[in-house]
Amino acid sequence: MEVLAQVGAFGQFVARFVRSSLTHPLPVRRTMEEAYRIGVRSLPILLIISTFVGTNLAVQGYNAFLPLGGQSMVGMFVALAGVREMAPIMVASMVAAKAGTEMASQIAVMRIQEQIDALQVMAIDPYWYLVTPRLLGILLVLPALTMISIFVLMAAALGVSVAQLGLSSHEFLVNASNAARPIDLFFCTIKASVFAVVICLVSCFYGFRSGAGATGVGRATNLAVVVSAVVCAVLNYVLSEWLFG
Amino acid sequence: MTPESAAIRIVDLHKRFGDLVVLDGVSMDIPKGRTTTILGPSGTGKSVLLKHIVGLLRPDSGQVWVGDVDMAVASERQKLQVRKRFGMMFQGGALFEDLTAGENVSFPLRYHTRMTEAQRRERANEKLALVELPDVYDRPTSALSGGMRKRVALARAIVLEPEVVLFDEPNSGLDPLTSTTIDELIVRMKERLGITFVIITHDIVQAVAVSDQIGMLWKGHLVAYAETPAFVDSEVEIVRQFMARNLHR
Amino acid sequence: MIERLEALGRFGRFAAAVGVRLVTPPWELTAALAQLGILFRRCLLPVLATTTPLGMVMALQGLAIFDLYGAQRLLSPLVSVATFRELSPVLASVLVAAQGGSSFAAELGAMRISEEIDATEVMAIDALRVHVVPRFAAIVLACPLLNFVGSLGGIVGGWISAVLMKGEPSGIYWTNLFLLTQFSDLWGGAIKALVFGAIIGLTACYQGFYATGGAPGVGRAVNDTVVLAATTFIVANYFLTTALFGAIGG
Repeated sequence: MEVLAQVGAFGQFVARFVRSSLTHPLPVRRTMEEAYRIGVRSLPILLIISTFVGTNLAVQGYNAFLPLGGQSMVGMFVALAGVREMAPIMVASMVAAKAGTEMASQIAVMRIQEQIDALQVMAIDPYWYLVTPRLLGILLVLPALTMISIFVLMAAALGVSVAQLGLSSHEFLVNASNAARPIDLFFCTIKASVFAVVICLVSCFYGFRSGAGATGVGRATNLAVVVSAVVCAVLNYVLSEWLFG
Repeated sequence: MTPESAAIRIVDLHKRFGDLVVLDGVSMDIPKGRTTTILGPSGTGKSVLLKHIVGLLRPDSGQVWVGDVDMAVASERQKLQVRKRFGMMFQGGALFEDLTAGENVSFPLRYHTRMTEAQRRERANEKLALVELPDVYDRPTSALSGGMRKRVALARAIVLEPEVVLFDEPNSGLDPLTSTTIDELIVRMKERLGITFVIITHDIVQAVAVSDQIGMLWKGHLVAYAETPAFVDSEVEIVRQFMARNLHR
Repeated sequence: MIERLEALGRFGRFAAAVGVRLVTPPWELTAALAQLGILFRRCLLPVLATTTPLGMVMALQGLAIFDLYGAQRLLSPLVSVATFRELSPVLASVLVAAQGGSSFAAELGAMRISEEIDATEVMAIDALRVHVVPRFAAIVLACPLLNFVGSLGGIVGGWISAVLMKGEPSGIYWTNLFLLTQFSDLWGGAIKALVFGAIIGLTACYQGFYATGGAPGVGRAVNDTVVLAATTFIVANYFLTTALFGAIGG
């Protein structure tokens, strides 16, 4: 029952946001600021995580195929699992954890300190002022981060395959390029864009609804990341089935 | 006072949150060009009343007339038009932490005027000088003291040269000396700018010092509303209790 | 740089202090169990709601590979091994970090801001023992528990996708699952989850316990908790996989 009420409130939030965005000019400069902030702040952590997810995928694939004598399939495994699934969902989780929680806590603080009321009294649409640039910014950045992550992940997996697992780099690359087609990269962009919208709207929604005090801000931040992660995981299956199934 | 001279006219306003009745039939006229204070202990719905005036809250029933617009049923677009003629100073200042003091003041100018950066800066500095903070334009908001925050918030509230300025507890959290400064600012600005001021506070000293008339909100009702001298001599029991307790402190 | 080192040193001292109190009485057992219960209930649905669709995705992509070689019967062991060893420990831990770790950081942060922690110490009560250790223990225990539940969710997800949606035979899925999944996959995943739990617990409690700067500070602490914990254990994951399941090529 409570979940339904929340879904309804979220629907209203999105409707208001869409209306506000369409009836106002495009906030170009603030969008660029947000894109820069989201992209640059998330990049170092993303590089670390992509590296280690890549190395781990290689080891995992090696272990999975060893009993069948199919070690050479590591390249294919990493390409399929890494490009199609791990990179998009991992980048999304990371951005949800970093940029999403930041959005939620910033907006929640603005809510409890009456800054959002102040915006309204100054006749500035808070949905347009706070949500629109964040959404456009994350939409610009998330697909790019996903591409970077794919590249780093594959490079790390190749490194481990050669150095730790003693496989041939030629075989890895041939296998990988047979498995992942260029169109897969485009599909990843679609996934990333969908995740971007989910993360931003969910995080801003919980920020706007924040309760009072430090507890309220903490709770809003918390809900933002958990709900975006779950929704992204579920949508990921739907998208995979639709794009690759 | 005649209805034409009322800047804001509140008619039989009711508002409840769940089981909690906050406003239980409040009616009052707030006259143009004067300072009106709504007094009351904390938790009596003073802030709620103020938020109805700017249309941040929608009443359960009743009307809030600002000019010829009823904020209770106005569309977002109408509300925006009304709000452009309003300024409001929030209890905690509600300054944007990621902007400097001056950028906070010039913020409404950026979105509602076609001024250039330099013009905005000049206007903001002019308002900052009015609240006796001439050199803080580039100071980060986080580096301002409580009293300075309130004054920056005041400068922001008047930067668009509004017709009505609303104050939510202008003295809360301030020491007596800074409070007096704020009171003096309010009196002087009213003389110079001829703006309608609406103040809500629980500080009786401030109310008497700055207002032309005072209303008292108690348990969702407006129990007294009169010119300041008449209010001070009020026979209403709650008003007398409230005045006695506060003046002794 | 020096600030970073200082923070690292402070974190080390904090970890040591928590560790000492964890192994010496008196223990706040009731508090720890209560926290564990709260945590488990709070994380159960999010864990299932993420591992199940990812199990489904894995079966989907796995079938794409095995179809090429006519080896569809190997699908269920692939799903189960990957779920037990990698997917579930990492995902369950990410969600414990996002849901439990961040809420503990928020609680402790709010207690710090409202001077509750100072009040505890002024009453000559050990704040670490009363407020931190039960939460830490709860997270460390919750991770393996939720990992187990998450693993089941992943395997069922694989079954839904392979059997219900792609029409693979159900009998073969389950037979091969039990035939080819090893006990070491199970406890290997559990050890991972335990280590991840310790990382999350320490990070969350540290961030919350030393939060400063009002409500924005608490928001920051919550934010840092999720990011720091997740990054640390994804790095740790690679080394744990290599150490536990061994993969050194010839």
